[in-house]
Amino acid sequence: MAKLLIVDDEADVREFATNFFRRRKVEVLTASGGEEALSLIEKEKPDLVLLDIKMAGIDGIETLKRLRVKDQTTKVIMVTGKKPDEEESFNKCHQLNAVDYIHKPLELDELERVVMKELTNLKS
Amino acid sequence: MIMVHDPNMLIKMIVRMLVQKVRLRHAGILLHQMDRDSYILTVSRGSKGLKIPAGFARMDADNPLIRFFRNKLDKQLLGDGALVYEQAKKALRKKNLSPVLRQQLKDALHQMEIFEVTVCIPTYFINELLGIFLMGRKNSGKNFSRSELNFFVAIASDVAMAIRNAQLFKDLALELDKNKRLFIHTTVALAAAIDAKDHYTHGHTSRVTSLSIEIARKLIQKNRKKFDEKFLEQLHIASLLHDIGKIGIPETILNKEGPLDEEEKKRIQQHPLIGVTILQPIRELQDALMGVKYHHERYDGSGYPEGLKRNDIPFIALIISVADSFDAMTTNRPYRRASTKEEAVREIEKYSGTQYEPSIAWALAELHREGKI
Repeated sequence: MAKLLIVDDEADVREFATNFFRRRKVEVLTASGGEEALSLIEKEKPDLVLLDIKMAGIDGIETLKRLRVKDQTTKVIMVTGKKPDEEESFNKCHQLNAVDYIHKPLELDELERVVMKELTNLKS
Repeated sequence: MIMVHDPNMLIKMIVRMLVQKVRLRHAGILLHQMDRDSYILTVSRGSKGLKIPAGFARMDADNPLIRFFRNKLDKQLLGDGALVYEQAKKALRKKNLSPVLRQQLKDALHQMEIFEVTVCIPTYFINELLGIFLMGRKNSGKNFSRSELNFFVAIASDVAMAIRNAQLFKDLALELDKNKRLFIHTTVALAAAIDAKDHYTHGHTSRVTSLSIEIARKLIQKNRKKFDEKFLEQLHIASLLHDIGKIGIPETILNKEGPLDEEEKKRIQQHPLIGVTILQPIRELQDALMGVKYHHERYDGSGYPEGLKRNDIPFIALIISVADSFDAMTTNRPYRRASTKEEAVREIEKYSGTQYEPSIAWALAELHREGKI
């Protein structure tokens, strides 16, 4: 089974996303912050990480930055809320090799498509 | 019909009721966002994991479910006002559906599957799709009865009206607000034009404006005066524009290095009236006009242009007069050095009751004592 890590500081989001992907036969792990995410990634080696940008503590971009110091391969999809400095974050994430960049509020079928595409890509 | 200014409360209440009383696994409402022509799940309740977090999900205008409701693609299915998953699935098996309609219905139902809803109730205002109530399965697993569905449809239509009304109120307030902001910005630009023309008073207008407002606030704070929002606004505008009349004064006089002769003094003293001439045609500025016209009057009647005395002088003008004098004293001129703030405050206190209105002079001194100026 593919392994997905969901990183978001809102419990509602973690719960919903967990349920959503479990129904699609994906193994789901969650983290509520950047530091927790980094240690989980190292320990569990998920196939894909859904990383929220706006979080308390270290934000998503900082988390990705730290991850990329040692880990160039773990696939990460960035999730952002509102769009204040759109251009800037998008470029930063691109430079840090994020696989994709999606905005909340999300179209659920887009979420499903984007994630499942990355997870099934592994098999080939 | 429910008349509500903020329908959010109403919607939250209804969704909560749906989930708790009707015992649904989850429910929510997708609301139309006009700026992006998209529908966002703004209110949502339900059990852990099933409830879609508010603000997390959206449907764009091209979403199959939205298109289905906007185009009212199947009158039969929507005849009762609700799209029920089971019924719609059955309809798909009918042979007499056109292939186009069949695909559209299939796509719409797929959306329902992703969101895990069993019933969708669209809410319209005339022909505009305002939102969609989404309802998950009942905890018991049972289907909704016809009377339950009718009840939800009735509520949905009331909610649509309430949302529409609230939207109209909000739009109206926004329009008014927009006009106000444009107006203030134009005023500030005008004021900047004056400052640009008169070299020695660079920044003077903004300093006088800040100080005037601080003084007014101090008076309110110490319960010396009761000013409303409108007064403060007019004070703001008047202080921004108090020297606008200087646009009519030749720069040779305004920027003269030495002291002014009689003739030149008389010219400069025209500026309040010139200001009035400039602003008179503008309806919104009539109150502020008083501040512009009379900011050189003196409490004891020794000022200009009319030599008004004491409380005949509009209060806005009295405030600006003190702020203006204070700033003039504390600014360098080529022919005299600036006073310190200390000295300027003392000077104003000295003439409290004669040149300056006493409570205003007191407020200025108080602000100085508190280190605010």
